[in-house]
Amino acid sequence: MNLLALLVDRAKPLTLRQVRQELGKQYPDSDEAARAAFERDKAALREMGIPIETKTLGGDAAGEVTYWVNRSNYELSDLRLTEEERAALQLAVATVHLGAQHGEEALWKLGGERILGKASMSVNIGLVDKNMNVITDAVMKRKTLNFEYKGEKRQVDPYGMLSRNGFWYIIGFDHLRRDKRVFRVDRIEGLVLAGEARAFKTPVDFDVAAAVPTEKQMLAAGDSEVTTAVVLVDASLAAGVRREFGESSVIRDRDDGSVEFAIPCANLDGFRLWLFAMVESAEVLEPQSVRDQVVQWLENLAAGK
Amino acid sequence: MATKKRAAKKRSSKPAKKSAASSKRSAKSARSAKSARPARRGPRSAAQRVSGLLVMLPWIMQRQRVKISTMARQFNLSEAELVEDLQMAAVCGVPPYTPDALIDVYMDDGMVIAEVPLVFSRPLKLSTAELFAVSVMAQTALQLPGANKKGPLASALAKLAPLMPAGAETIKVQLPKTRFVKELLAAVETGERHEIEYFSPASLKRTTRTITPRKVFEDSGRWYVAADDHLSGEDRVFRVDRIEKLVGTQIFDQLREVRDDELPWFSESLQKVTLRVQKQARWIVESYPYVSRVDNKDGSVDLTMSITSKHWLGRLLLRAGNGVKVLKPVEYRQLASQTAQNVLSRYKKTA
Repeated sequence: MNLLALLVDRAKPLTLRQVRQELGKQYPDSDEAARAAFERDKAALREMGIPIETKTLGGDAAGEVTYWVNRSNYELSDLRLTEEERAALQLAVATVHLGAQHGEEALWKLGGERILGKASMSVNIGLVDKNMNVITDAVMKRKTLNFEYKGEKRQVDPYGMLSRNGFWYIIGFDHLRRDKRVFRVDRIEGLVLAGEARAFKTPVDFDVAAAVPTEKQMLAAGDSEVTTAVVLVDASLAAGVRREFGESSVIRDRDDGSVEFAIPCANLDGFRLWLFAMVESAEVLEPQSVRDQVVQWLENLAAGK
Repeated sequence: MATKKRAAKKRSSKPAKKSAASSKRSAKSARSAKSARPARRGPRSAAQRVSGLLVMLPWIMQRQRVKISTMARQFNLSEAELVEDLQMAAVCGVPPYTPDALIDVYMDDGMVIAEVPLVFSRPLKLSTAELFAVSVMAQTALQLPGANKKGPLASALAKLAPLMPAGAETIKVQLPKTRFVKELLAAVETGERHEIEYFSPASLKRTTRTITPRKVFEDSGRWYVAADDHLSGEDRVFRVDRIEKLVGTQIFDQLREVRDDELPWFSESLQKVTLRVQKQARWIVESYPYVSRVDNKDGSVDLTMSITSKHWLGRLLLRAGNGVKVLKPVEYRQLASQTAQNVLSRYKKTA
């Protein structure tokens, strides 16, 4: 801390020799130990986001390195936030939980305060993954990521990130598949490594929300020959399905309140998960091939297979 | 008034529930932390302390006088830790370390007092992680029901925009759009009882009940409301997307706040089951809260979870198919087969 204060205060480059003179006993006497201690402090400061500039001198002092910090390089300029704006940020940070303290830290730096009371509403979009810092940094600064996913080594240019339904997704160009792919952050295996900043450009028409398929799109994304099934849903659950798949999916409202829906089923595994969530309150009517498949699944399970 | 009394009695007589709720919390936090602030462990390193000071000093200099206790709470430190850190700062400065060259912060009569700033009067730039957090939190808050999209939060975000790296534009949060969230939130603020029609898939029943909403929250892609449930006489959590009807009653209860860590996730009488989950049914591990998990050598996972009903477990087993087996209790070993037979009988009727 004294090293930082000194470098800031002197506002001119200092050599290690000068630093040691100024700080006196705060560094060990032996050159080697002092150098090591200085390097440690320097690294710690850089870690905190304080860039220490260096320059190697020529002439008489050839080979000697000078150090300084430029306040404008690490100090936050005054954003001139109004009290109202600061209060709004405070409320946002109190309401939205990320699972890390970065939001509060930002707030303090912006001159705000953590609201210590309780909120009547809260939103939890926790990104508590161990790789969080590396990934968000890479997305923000356009660094290529390297990680293992489904047992394969992937190299991905992360175009964007999306939080939906409690999961965080990375959408990017997958060098292995040579195509755009979606990855779930919590399914990444092991540690993520990031390359240099500004390693790629994000396509201009990239839409991060559209890049991650919705449940409806997921049910439609498959290689099954039959792409749509007619599903009868009992009155108790029909309203929910109607909201989820939209009015256009309704084929017929029956008198007893049950509804026939046209539901995508090209992705049969996904379709099965969706259908069986309704247990005995839903039934596939058509086509016969899909109905047979459902019966086959049920028979296998009933037989304990 | 009678309601309030009942609610108070209810809470004090329910230690069992509290523990159920907290076990859910700890299980769930494997994926989504409930608390905004992870607990700190072990002693703080010198670097951590200095880096904390670099945030605290500009903050205190802006305010000049703050109670030690208030400041400690603000920064999640004990008062002793805060005093220790500020004492360290107070002896820092530049040579020759005479009083006028020291960082001018001292404590007096329970107050922290910062006077003429020497160095560190301006906060450090926001780190990428902090920019990410602010950007995500603000854009999420802007999506909340009732948010003013042209208000002070939006203009604060606009002022922060020049600091954001280019990639921040493609980081998005999508909150589920669910009916009644806005109305329920208003009810939390007024204490108005509401009559709801609620569908419970656990029992396959639709009930009409009166609730007093206490907190509206989103977790893992779903909206919930924590409320006093006047039907069961308990504090309960309801899924907002299962509320089919919501009507105000014009009866108002005294306001009561519910902290995140006291959410009544479950009613008391919950049964625990242990499942062996194979890799293909891994979504179970990812989607549901569990009490404990054991990873087996073959890649399967033994998961112990609380279930709300036999029907709910049957549904889970049906969906997972042969990717999951019930280990405990024995009476549910045949549940997958029984559930499949029930559904099959429906198909046989219309064959």
